[in-house]
Amino acid sequence: MERPEYRLERLLGALSLALICLITLANVVVRYFTDFSFAFTEEFSIALMVILTFVGSAAAFAAGRHVRITFLVERLPRRLRLACEALAQAATVGLFTALTVLGAQMAFDEYRFEVTSPGLGLPQWWYSVWLPLLALLIAVRVLGAAWRYWKGARR
Amino acid sequence: MSAGWLILAFVLPLAAGVPLAVAMGLAGGALIAAADLGLLAVPTNAYAGIAKYPLLAIPMFILAGMIFERSGVALRLVRFIAAMVGDWPGSLALVAVLVSMLLGGISGSGPADAAAVAAVMIPAMLRRGYPVSFSAGLIAAAGSTAIVIPPSVAFIVYSVLVPQATVPALFAAGLIPGILAALSLLAPALWLSRRHGWGAGSTEPRPPFWRSLREAVWGLAAPVIILGGLRSGLFTPTEAAVVAVAYGLFVGTLVYRTLKWRDIHAIFAEAAEISAVVLMIIGLASVFAWAGNTLGVFDGIARAIVALGERPALVLLAINAILLAAGLFLDAVSIYLILLPVLIPIAQAMGWDLVWFGVMMTINLAIGQFTPPMALSLMITARIGGVSLESTVRWVIWMVLAMLGALALVVVFPELALWLPRRLGY
Repeated sequence: MERPEYRLERLLGALSLALICLITLANVVVRYFTDFSFAFTEEFSIALMVILTFVGSAAAFAAGRHVRITFLVERLPRRLRLACEALAQAATVGLFTALTVLGAQMAFDEYRFEVTSPGLGLPQWWYSVWLPLLALLIAVRVLGAAWRYWKGARR
Repeated sequence: MSAGWLILAFVLPLAAGVPLAVAMGLAGGALIAAADLGLLAVPTNAYAGIAKYPLLAIPMFILAGMIFERSGVALRLVRFIAAMVGDWPGSLALVAVLVSMLLGGISGSGPADAAAVAAVMIPAMLRRGYPVSFSAGLIAAAGSTAIVIPPSVAFIVYSVLVPQATVPALFAAGLIPGILAALSLLAPALWLSRRHGWGAGSTEPRPPFWRSLREAVWGLAAPVIILGGLRSGLFTPTEAAVVAVAYGLFVGTLVYRTLKWRDIHAIFAEAAEISAVVLMIIGLASVFAWAGNTLGVFDGIARAIVALGERPALVLLAINAILLAAGLFLDAVSIYLILLPVLIPIAQAMGWDLVWFGVMMTINLAIGQFTPPMALSLMITARIGGVSLESTVRWVIWMVLAMLGALALVVVFPELALWLPRRLGY
């Protein structure tokens, strides 16, 4: 069951989720006992959720656990099925490579124009820079899984 | 031209097995590129689509449900309910449905529920003479109602896409129809059990009532905490879920002592991945939705459908048929993201209540989760029971019909959904 090759993603995903829990729980407790609200920390929770989405998806895409319709593909002859698999892999790598490039441009623009975050007034690129970095992680993971798939398929 | 392109760029890759999130992102990106809207809209919308405060409730409810399931709440609820209802032909079918309903009140998604109940109930039901293919079908069907019974991840997503329908209103509206959908399964389940004599000739001693209540009370309190906290206005949905997580960890580590450090790490890692899949689809669907809305594609399709049907009943019937068909292939959240941009303008043009519409949609999609051939919940329970999906069909068909009956009631009498939220003042 345990896939050692996705240990990093599992750890980072679990950590982000635990941090979101702690921030939200602290909010409830502090608000309940004092009048003080530090709801502005929502900004951290939301940024962590974006990180969670990308690290969790890296393992899910690579291991074929992302939502997809396999009902039709499984009923195709072998050659067509392999062609569909190649299409799915190419599409995934292509999309996340594009997100890496475009996301980097988005983060760079925010850095250049010194965009600040709405809640805490921190530089927005601190948050958005994770999108291209982790999109690259997904592209690399899917490429790696595709490499192993085709090595196995040839045999 | 746009509608045709959209189908070419989205539906064909999706049918060919491209992951849903990727198909939506690429189709959205292709539309944006073709219309020259500026490709930076792709990462901007993907980021903004995920970074929304209400969506935080999704990983929290997924985590809370998983903690309760792994901590052995299901087993204790089964013992308690069995002690209450006794042992007679069909009694275990009743237990399975009631426990699934209670777990649905803790977790927000069907397949995980079905897995937890199946692991406990299928062996117990087999010992009392129920065929595994029947038990697997019944538990898959009962577990599917978790997305209708609050709390529900599906309703949270619906609310983010349809802000007029708030999460508390949807949760309240789902309660009666969800219970109705689960109880509707009892008609075929009890009838089949009696007819075949499953569970006849009681031999096992009844579990002691008070001890099983004392053990189960920790699990029984969970829906009260979640729904009560929401109702009192003490918590937002996200906070209610986090309180449920803390409570679940407390019960699992200190009361039942079933969760060890290793289990907790595994639960967090798995909940993170399941949440990531849902959130990635939401993020890339918002690229798709932004492109489609900016170019007016969805409105165009909606107007065409409204123009087709002079009679609202016919349009409603058509929508139900589309939802049932879509539910055969995909889960509820995915279908919301694909179809809501088109369906909401239709519902508004018809003057339908959007809370009721959400409940109706969700029951449809719950039915899809256990209708062969592509039934997510049923695949899981059949695998746990070690039987083929085909062998369950002869039983499941009756349960599909029963829940269609419950759906028809909610469609014909919208008050079943709308009475409670109005009563609570949402």
